[in-house]
Amino acid sequence: MSTNKIDPTKWVDKYSDYLFNYTIVRVNDREIANDLISETFLAGLKSMKNFKGEASERTWLISILKRKIIDHYRRINSKKGQAEVRIKYSDDSNEGDWLEEQAPDRLDMTAEDIMENEELGLAIIRCMENLPEKQAKIFKMKTIEGFDTEAICNEFNITPSNLWVIIHRARTTLAQCLEKNWF
Amino acid sequence: MSKFKSIFVDCSKAGNCCDKAQYNEASLPEKVKMLVHLALCKPCRKYSNKNTKLTKLIKDCDLKTCTEEEKQAWKEKIKQEIALKDRG
Repeated sequence: MSTNKIDPTKWVDKYSDYLFNYTIVRVNDREIANDLISETFLAGLKSMKNFKGEASERTWLISILKRKIIDHYRRINSKKGQAEVRIKYSDDSNEGDWLEEQAPDRLDMTAEDIMENEELGLAIIRCMENLPEKQAKIFKMKTIEGFDTEAICNEFNITPSNLWVIIHRARTTLAQCLEKNWF
Repeated sequence: MSKFKSIFVDCSKAGNCCDKAQYNEASLPEKVKMLVHLALCKPCRKYSNKNTKLTKLIKDCDLKTCTEEEKQAWKEKIKQEIALKDRG
């Protein structure tokens, strides 16, 4: 039985941050991530009639995105034979040092930590989807993008007291939403 | 006596200060008053612990957001595709 409805006009506002965080950890390039998300939305529009409503819109879009990411790696792997590696030292004093030695080594994070952080990030975004639109926007600007209180107040035409009430409500809702698995 | 009184704040003020502290926007006197309140109020202590944990979780996962321009470009593409579909 079809329970979930599909509405492409709301995809960007509702799911773009989720899709973006899902993609960026897999391709590690903002521009490629943007292209893949764009392709996902267009493929979603084309195959809308196949959406049975059994899964949520987000799950359905992620299943399309997964295929797009796999296609992306297939594409770049097929070009591997033509690849040319160029090594350039950033300054002469470092000449002779391997670039590898200059790369930061994340000894503080294991593969499990990275996976757990990704899962946590997606869980936070899913919880943010439940916030009222304005509350979610203000919370994101303040907490994730690090905007000044004054800048947000000017943009939304609210007082600092209003802002802190909104932040308080958003934080309480998020803490409740995450409580089961992450607290 | 009034000076002594002013060090005590109610739960809503302590909660507000706790939120501000998550963004390093609480002043020193506000923090002192909050700490005094937390020492005396168990529910606020619980809220403060959760709030601090939430800040840590958000920081740990290094979330990223899409810019308004990126969102606008996607919306535009979807709009065009829908218009094309309606015509075809």
